[in-house]
Amino acid sequence: MTFTLFDNEERMAGRAEAALRDLDFGSDEARAAYSELLDAYRKSLREQRRMMRLGDRLQEQLSTVNQELVRRRAEAERALQQLRDAQDSLIQAEKLASLGGLVAGIAHEINTPIGITVTAASILADQVAGLRRQFQAGTLARSDFEEFMTTADEASRLVLSNANRAVMLIQSFKQVAVDQTTADRRVFELKPYLSEVLTSLSPRLRRAGHRVVVECDEGLEVDGYPGALFQVLTNLVMNALQHAFEAGKTGTIRIRARLFDADTVELRFTDDGNGIAAADQGRIFDPFFTTKRGAGGSGLGLHIVFNLIVGTLNGSIAVQSQPGEGTTFIIGFPRVAPARPVAV
Amino acid sequence: MNIHDISRAPTDRSPEIQFDPDACSLSISGASFPEDGAAFYGPVLSTLDEILKALDQRCVTVRIALNYFNSSSAKALMNLFLMLDDAAQAGNQVIVNWFHAADDDTMKEFGEEFAEDVRFVRFNVIPTAVTS
Repeated sequence: MTFTLFDNEERMAGRAEAALRDLDFGSDEARAAYSELLDAYRKSLREQRRMMRLGDRLQEQLSTVNQELVRRRAEAERALQQLRDAQDSLIQAEKLASLGGLVAGIAHEINTPIGITVTAASILADQVAGLRRQFQAGTLARSDFEEFMTTADEASRLVLSNANRAVMLIQSFKQVAVDQTTADRRVFELKPYLSEVLTSLSPRLRRAGHRVVVECDEGLEVDGYPGALFQVLTNLVMNALQHAFEAGKTGTIRIRARLFDADTVELRFTDDGNGIAAADQGRIFDPFFTTKRGAGGSGLGLHIVFNLIVGTLNGSIAVQSQPGEGTTFIIGFPRVAPARPVAV
Repeated sequence: MNIHDISRAPTDRSPEIQFDPDACSLSISGASFPEDGAAFYGPVLSTLDEILKALDQRCVTVRIALNYFNSSSAKALMNLFLMLDDAAQAGNQVIVNWFHAADDDTMKEFGEEFAEDVRFVRFNVIPTAVTS
């Protein structure tokens, strides 16, 4: 015997059918009414079975959908985690790449004074050798010696000034390199620091023919993280070179720093280039947002700027731009950084 | 049929069923949406029917603590309560304790409706603390 959940009802209906068959109902009307009631009960029973099957099937579908939902959610979470890991490693790669760019800039900058020094020294060596030959042959005229002294003066002046220039550059790079590679905080004067930073960036700017103007309150001292500030300025300059100025056009970058109030430094970074489309302005700090994907843009430069300002410097950054009228980044950060930097 | 056949270990889709023939106590707990309701509850109910019919002047306690059930399980429960009602009418003392999570109004209302469908069973609807 197969069990059905409607055993009771079936038995009841069976008994009612037997009664319809066997009993005397007294009148045709009573029999008709009883028969009608039995039909309705049968119908209702079928309805109940249908409803039960329907209910079970809905429940079944719901639980399938739920399982699918749980599975997809887990999948999405896994994908998100992978994306975050990838993002972290790309940001690290971008930091390394900007360090690489810095090294190239240093090499280029140092190359000029060293080159002049080598040239001047070799001219001097030639002149000395010539002078010695004339002296030994006894053909050295007074005018030859006077000419030599003029050349020697000029050459030694060039050697000295360019060697000094190289020493000065190396010192400023050393300072920047220390700041770049450590998160150490120190007290530094803002104006000379900005000049140092721009010195290390100037090869690239000069190559493209752009002008940089720095305006800064005299004697403004900051107690904070110069390394972070260096990276911020580097990335803003690189961003301007890539996006603000079209190839072949020259422009001006203006960096204005001042004490906004007793505790806050305001730094405005302005270019007179292309500007940023209104639709993009809300997304420029998003990781991987770039309008130059095909042309080597990583979409991380301004994201790193944002992280450093909000995280390390504990400050804020906003952008103002009109297409065709240039862009201004307005950065504010505490003159004295809070006790602990936020890790980024 | 062996009376021990009534007990069932819980699965993801079917409840744990425990039956103690000496104490005449039955417990159904967990979730109930077996793939085939008749196949799962059929043997349990027909065995239980035989056992109940053989009882005389006994005290039967039933604990129902389900957190979820589907339509055919609801029908099986109705059948169970009617059986218990018959046993109670036959002179046994039958108590059903229907447990529901305090914040689960649906399960509370199901218990109250079942309580209305029995006449001789003492049917208690009891809220339990919500475990999160």
